[in-house]
Amino acid sequence: MRIYLFLAPVLLGASFGSPALAQQLAEQDLSSLSIEQLAQLPVTSASKTEEPLSQAPAALYVVTAHDIENSGATSLPEALRLAPNLNVQQVTASQYAIAARGFNGIQAGNKLLVLIDGRSIYTPLADNVTWELHQPLLEDIEQIEVISGPGGTLYGPNAVNGVVNITTKSAEDTIGGLLRGTAGADERTAAARYGFAIGSAGAMRIYADYDDREGLPRGIGAAIDDHSRSWQGGFRSDFGGADDRFTMQGDLFRSTDKMFAGDHTSAHNLLARWTHDLGRSASFQIQSYYDWYKSEVTLVDQSLETWDNEAQLNVTTGPHQIVAGAGVRTTKDRFVNGLNAFELNPESRRLWVYNAFAQDRFNLTTDLALIAGVKLEKSSFVGWQVLPNLRLAYQPNARALFWAAVSKAVRTPSRIDRQLELLPLVPPSTDFMSEKLVAFEAGYRGQPASWLSLSVNVFYNFYNDLRTTESLTDQVFPIELLNGRKGTTYGIEAWGKAQVTPWWRLSLGATTLHKSFHLVDDRTDLEPRNSLGADPHWQVVGSSDMDLSRKLKLTLDVRAVSPLDLPPSVPGYVEAGGRIAYDLNDEVELFVAARNLLHETHEENGDPNSAQLAKRSVYAGTRLRF
Amino acid sequence: MRRRALIFVSAIGAAMLSSSAQAEVTDLEVKAAFLPRFARYVTWPAAAWRGDQPVSLCVIGDDPFGNLLNQSIAGQQVDGRNFVVKRLSSAAGASDCAIAFVDGSRTDEILQSLAHQPVLTVTDSRFGSERGIIHFVIVGGRVRFSINNRQAREDGLTISSRLLALAVGVSG
Repeated sequence: MRIYLFLAPVLLGASFGSPALAQQLAEQDLSSLSIEQLAQLPVTSASKTEEPLSQAPAALYVVTAHDIENSGATSLPEALRLAPNLNVQQVTASQYAIAARGFNGIQAGNKLLVLIDGRSIYTPLADNVTWELHQPLLEDIEQIEVISGPGGTLYGPNAVNGVVNITTKSAEDTIGGLLRGTAGADERTAAARYGFAIGSAGAMRIYADYDDREGLPRGIGAAIDDHSRSWQGGFRSDFGGADDRFTMQGDLFRSTDKMFAGDHTSAHNLLARWTHDLGRSASFQIQSYYDWYKSEVTLVDQSLETWDNEAQLNVTTGPHQIVAGAGVRTTKDRFVNGLNAFELNPESRRLWVYNAFAQDRFNLTTDLALIAGVKLEKSSFVGWQVLPNLRLAYQPNARALFWAAVSKAVRTPSRIDRQLELLPLVPPSTDFMSEKLVAFEAGYRGQPASWLSLSVNVFYNFYNDLRTTESLTDQVFPIELLNGRKGTTYGIEAWGKAQVTPWWRLSLGATTLHKSFHLVDDRTDLEPRNSLGADPHWQVVGSSDMDLSRKLKLTLDVRAVSPLDLPPSVPGYVEAGGRIAYDLNDEVELFVAARNLLHETHEENGDPNSAQLAKRSVYAGTRLRF
Repeated sequence: MRRRALIFVSAIGAAMLSSSAQAEVTDLEVKAAFLPRFARYVTWPAAAWRGDQPVSLCVIGDDPFGNLLNQSIAGQQVDGRNFVVKRLSSAAGASDCAIAFVDGSRTDEILQSLAHQPVLTVTDSRFGSERGIIHFVIVGGRVRFSINNRQAREDGLTISSRLLALAVGVSG
């Protein structure tokens, strides 16, 4: 029953609106406008509420370009706070820990797979996502799909607790110029993009953005200078018609986050994709990318080179929708530790990962579909692993989807899991296996009314072979990384969006998480936090998005997060932010925005090494489109 | 800096006072309003016009507009002709369409059959990546469109500079 309570304000608010009447008024106006006036008329993107229901039988939340543009977010992690099924913890000015369904932390956050335009930014070196190395131009993001729960066949390994799938706009949809600048006491950002048509069936854009963030006040972690300056530039080009589509894109990233003289990070990537239509009911896609980064921070030098190739075939035949594919990825890393005696042995290594997958969506009846898929994967550290998933989707009408799923997922061993050593105290963990999950999920997603969309999901997860840091003798040393823990988690996720009036939209989401873990037999774990993370039992996020007039927009957001469940103690908090924007004319938008408005500082993360305090931040900015 | 911020805040205050909350329109309403109006800025080959028949505005495949299109043609005229909305499931019978909005799973096939015919094909980025001569996109919260002028010329259509100037991208 509890899940219905949080919806009460949404339902109450919605009853005041009368969208139909307002629409009638608007229609009468349109017939008298010129084409130039029509082209200048702000529109509510109807996709907000009228988008066809996604058939994906998974816990899916979509952050739209509209949501991001109207939020106070100036970075990718801040934009991810819009997804109620993610827990976002700011660690330093530029570092974040982000997780779905638990295991959040800089070290523990190894169960969320993140893709930008099909390129994985999950690093196999340490099994985590280094968010501070990625600053795509926020205005060019088309949408962010956030799936909580196993990514299943299509995403595969390491998509244990969730997938964040970021897609940027096609180059054809970013023709023209954009300039953005924001300035406040705590951060300055600048961005520029120019898109142009090439020939009759292609377009390209180039962009660059720069972020300058002041350091945060000291939190639980050490006193560090986390002042961060970074820039990223890149391009995307799209060519072709309906039969053949070619995409090529790449980015360059540099940052000079300095804790020691000479610290710097650089990264670049290049991706090519070809989609070919084989007729009415089949298509295939080939994608290849190269990704490289190197960071020299606090005397730790690391680099990682990734080369990834994959092919995918989609075929619809009769009641079957089949997706099948295969891929190979190779990485070459290098890790040199000048800070302490821990090292990776060997210092540099090339790893290979092979995978093949197939999934069939079998429409049993017009409203019932069975989705069965399996992914096979082999990596340099572990043999072939079989990852099956089975889903049932029941869609009684176009406005409701009920689904249930059972899936197996694994988190494969990273270089650090297998080959970290400090002889004789820490021998390499040659026995470390994959961490395993069997997940049971069910959910409802639908539009009970044209102005209201709702989603409710429940999950029960069984984990096995979770990482433990164990003493091999009665003394502390030697210690080794082993798979000594198992346990369960369960929870509810629910969110809703209401188009209260044509000019006012509300959204509200809440998640709960209960974790229960124990050590197998008489095993030990010196670092439970590094394995299990530190998560809130619940969080609630809400936002209000108002078009006060044709020129004036007001967005407000609020979030409440309960205390984290593992020490060091991080109390719960309530924070709010907002953005008020004024369209000076068709080209120029002025805005003032604030994050963490309620308190000067608050704690979000308890990482003993680096956690700093999240801070109130107010800034003004402008966007110019031409 | 502080002074600038003050000016900015007072500008917002003034704007709030001077304008009450207005009902926004949806993108589909604006697109429906655009469709008959395109006819004024496109010249069809003389042979394409028969007698004084009304101008056919066709929706081929899925129809996202519902009643909106019938409302938007009311009272609209081009060269003294009224409009009529036709809904078709395939390109068959589309040869007398002046303007054809194409949507649905067979968009690609339909566009190919209409190529080299004097039909102004229109597609929408919201529903797919296939592109007709005019392709609606949302830019900065406004309905805009790109124009494939080469395809238009191949099909025997001449698009006026006023419409081309309004496009966010003109190819060919």
